[in-house]
Amino acid sequence: MQSSHLKAYLTSNLDIEEKEISSIIGSCTIKKIRKDEFLLRKNEYCKHTFFVENGLLRQYSIDEKGKEHTISFAPENWFVTDRESAYFNQPSAYYIQALEDSEVVAIDENFIHQLSEKIPDFAGFNNKLLHNHIRHLQKRINLLLSASAKERYLQFIDMYPDILLRVPQTMVASYLGITPESLSRVRKELAHKHFKK
Amino acid sequence: MRTKTVELVASPRAPHFVGDGFRVHNFIPSGFRLDMQRMSPFIMLDYNSTYKFPPSDKPKGVGVHPHKGFETVTIAYKGKVAHHDSSGGGGIIGEGDVQWMTAANGVLHKEYHEEEWSKKGGDFQMVQLWVNLRARDKKGDPKYQAIKYEDINRYKLQDDAGIVEVIAGEYNGTKGAASTFTPVHMFNAKLNKGGKADFQFPATYNTVLLVLEGNIIVNGKEETPTDHLALMANDGETFEIEATDDAVVLVLSGEPINEPIAAQGPFVMNTREELIEAFNDFNTGKFGYLED
Repeated sequence: MQSSHLKAYLTSNLDIEEKEISSIIGSCTIKKIRKDEFLLRKNEYCKHTFFVENGLLRQYSIDEKGKEHTISFAPENWFVTDRESAYFNQPSAYYIQALEDSEVVAIDENFIHQLSEKIPDFAGFNNKLLHNHIRHLQKRINLLLSASAKERYLQFIDMYPDILLRVPQTMVASYLGITPESLSRVRKELAHKHFKK
Repeated sequence: MRTKTVELVASPRAPHFVGDGFRVHNFIPSGFRLDMQRMSPFIMLDYNSTYKFPPSDKPKGVGVHPHKGFETVTIAYKGKVAHHDSSGGGGIIGEGDVQWMTAANGVLHKEYHEEEWSKKGGDFQMVQLWVNLRARDKKGDPKYQAIKYEDINRYKLQDDAGIVEVIAGEYNGTKGAASTFTPVHMFNAKLNKGGKADFQFPATYNTVLLVLEGNIIVNGKEETPTDHLALMANDGETFEIEATDDAVVLVLSGEPINEPIAAQGPFVMNTREELIEAFNDFNTGKFGYLED
């Protein structure tokens, strides 16, 4: 299998030959998983960062009452991992599960080392990615603490334009931290405002 | 007139469920020579081969979803489907009926096994096709053509060979009930054992034969068994099918729409920008609202 999206992503952001990147990616495992299969379960140790070539993953937790809380969706070209487990060697609190048949590249520390050795600028690029990720998380915390259901929804469709058509509404509600009924109400109000027929 | 030869005979791929009510083999679009561009205007063909659904008090089906940029054609061979849309429309597609829905600039709908049918359960066999529209027709308003079985014209073949039901286009002077935006021929050829039928379409038209019942031989040599699809080459105009036992064959032939295709999920547009706009419109309620 060709990990073409990851290659395109790295060559467009880094000063590196395609041949060189191919050999580094070649050392990664490419996993094909079916819908509903897990890449990570609670209490397991997460060894990889997953890059989604195609398909769709979801990272979530389950609380004591059995309720699911979606941390993130990862469609094509997204990275997903449990950093606490992968970088601090803790048992994971999360599940990472395929919502569609998916192909992912399992990236490990060796991959990061190889890129750092080959590309002087890699640390700078990696920092930028981390800052961007932290920015996104801060925004998400702020929205969860302060924003209305509608604001959260509008932010969601901006970030994930096609997810609403790919996952059940209950999962979207669990990402937004609102009830499925609230999500329905928000979407109904928007339709009422925008539907022209 | 040259003979239109068989380019390939495709076996049904492993079935998958669309929602929980349609168990389909997808033939179009699929990688090898059955992609959207090659098959235009037929950009999607899902075939629910005969499958027995057990009785269910809660009708199975597909929840609320949008379509934009093309037409959906549902041909019910066995079973019954009910549908509803966001502008208040709806109806029932019964056995033998055809629903031709022009999604054009956008509809939001859901489709389920009809309630009474669902309670009894039974054999279910359907074809769902997507027929592409030209850029200008994608901008039009949605509409339905609900075509009842009894309103479909039929042509009686000679020598008790069987009949050709004309859903769209024309067969030997018999016209189809459906109106189309670009030239499309859509027939159900119902042949008795040993019966033969000739067809003639321009060489450039993309043409497939889906065998729903029985087995056929095309041009005297290519065997196409039940639930298989024959893709005809663009090398000639005429071909003949012969039923080796009682057979039902869906014959599709259409003039290709030579425009770029940008397709994702339930939207088929011309450009990437139009696709993004379609997702935005759906997310922000411009397709309306419909309860699941």
